[in-house]
Amino acid sequence: MKSVVTTVITSADAAGRFPSSSDLESVQGSIQRAAARLEAAEKLANNLDNVAKEAYAACIKKYPYLNDSGEANSTDTFKAKCERDIKHYMRLIQYCLVVGGTGPLDEWGIAGGREVYRALNLPTAPYVEALSFARSRGCAPRDMSVQALVEYNALLDYTINSLS
Amino acid sequence: MDKRFSSMFGLSEAESILLLDTPLGQLPEGQSRYVAACELVNFPTEAAIQALIRAVQNPNPELDNRIVRRKSIETLGRLSAVQALPMIRDCLGDEDCYTVENAVWAIGEIGTDDAVLLEQVAQLLETPNQTYRVIIHTLAKLGYEPAVARIKTFVDDEDTTIASAAMTAIARLTGDRTPLSQVVEFLLHPNVYTRRLAIQDLIDAQHDEAIPAIARTPVSLVFRLRGIRMLADAGTGNAGTNQAKSAGIDIDRLNFATDIQPWLEQVLWDRPEDLTLVHEYDQPPTLEFLINELYQTDFGRCYLAVKTILAEHREIAPAALMVAYQEKARADYGGHYHVMKLLGRLHYEPAFELMVQEGLNNPQPQFQKSRFAAALSLGELGNVEAIPALKACLDSPIWTIKYAALMALEKLGDRTAHDLAAQDSDWLIRAKATSM
Repeated sequence: MKSVVTTVITSADAAGRFPSSSDLESVQGSIQRAAARLEAAEKLANNLDNVAKEAYAACIKKYPYLNDSGEANSTDTFKAKCERDIKHYMRLIQYCLVVGGTGPLDEWGIAGGREVYRALNLPTAPYVEALSFARSRGCAPRDMSVQALVEYNALLDYTINSLS
Repeated sequence: MDKRFSSMFGLSEAESILLLDTPLGQLPEGQSRYVAACELVNFPTEAAIQALIRAVQNPNPELDNRIVRRKSIETLGRLSAVQALPMIRDCLGDEDCYTVENAVWAIGEIGTDDAVLLEQVAQLLETPNQTYRVIIHTLAKLGYEPAVARIKTFVDDEDTTIASAAMTAIARLTGDRTPLSQVVEFLLHPNVYTRRLAIQDLIDAQHDEAIPAIARTPVSLVFRLRGIRMLADAGTGNAGTNQAKSAGIDIDRLNFATDIQPWLEQVLWDRPEDLTLVHEYDQPPTLEFLINELYQTDFGRCYLAVKTILAEHREIAPAALMVAYQEKARADYGGHYHVMKLLGRLHYEPAFELMVQEGLNNPQPQFQKSRFAAALSLGELGNVEAIPALKACLDSPIWTIKYAALMALEKLGDRTAHDLAAQDSDWLIRAKATSM
């Protein structure tokens, strides 16, 4: 699992050297942001079901024709299809907040995910729309502190960018 | 191509083009250019292609525009828009690695024998932070042999999905099939994406010998069925015939009854005991834990849970599964599938109606695999009242549902629908119907 710390140590070890001062600065930066990240991780974990539900409900509301997509006829279950996937990405985002790097998303969500979506012709638009909604929905200090929201939104942007 | 989700947003061509041409700051409330770029895949017209090209040429670096550019490139690839090739070529130098990835992929879809362009793609193998797997795929697909030496440098890549693609490409470009044995080993890698993507690589290499190993791979049956189906089509002269002929490949090398049917049906039955599982429990889990595992996105873990439920909790599992179904699995397409399968394996007769109504006849595209799971579970229950509903499935456009319905009817001792199925437009369904 890659994080700022493991990346720094791995590249230092590969070169047979001590971490450089810029390496240490990036570790220091990551540690300084740790409190905000962990706050965001905790808030997200406590509210995961609602965040995912709300994000997809917003997507359905925005695109009401999703309700009768294909042969679909039941709004609840259609929403739940994507809720399952959005919850999965939210969980990976939460892991990234804990780790302090994008390793969990990169390794378990994105690497290969883009290829699978393309090969199976699965739609990415609902995820992009739902995650974009989650990004615009977060509010400080109502949901979390300003700094925690910055960390959370950065990972939402990262996920939207990588999935699209 | 599976088009279940292609027009899920229901936009017309004109609406999509209008939306795509709208500047970011002037978008009507709640409208998305990204969605428009997706929807245009349904309109293979010059107007749509030109709109997509204009979208790719929009240089705005904001995230909302960047994702539209990438999706537009992908859609142009899907539309095989040759006229877009010069513009897509310009994207190979883009600083956004996903834009480059989509451009390389689109070139592979559109096709080219322009050596200069192919060399430009090959040089991306020496550019840092690119999606090497897609680059390697495209070079192999388009037969660019001068890239072999550079592709070889990736066979030991720490990212096993890249290593797998490199080994496959070398086999395709040089004819030396030796590296494919390692790709087959990747089918049992701890990382689920390595397992899934190794199947793709074996399809690309037309490595028929891997069919039994693919059948045993602990990933969702969707990937295994796709792999076996594509190998079966190619190996029986039912897909890519012209391409195979020109490449000197034997297109009639697989026999349905011996090389395809046993493995295909093993996958459709989808019994964990037929899989090589890569996970294990360090202590005996509770039934509650096991049921929760059915919602995992790594099906390898779900299969271990299914196997353990069948071995350790046969008596109490049906009631617990029915509760889980109502509470959560009903709305979760992964959990839904496993519950449908388990209730059949447990011969839980009270679930008959549920299997018919919410499994076999489930109208929603994302629950498609639950439909063939339910068909086979109805076969397991042995209740002949399921026969009319199963026969009705033979009108489905989805081959897996038809095939599973035939298997279930066979199990129930009914052959009356087989004459009809023997006339099916799909060679695989005809082969199944006439084999019984």
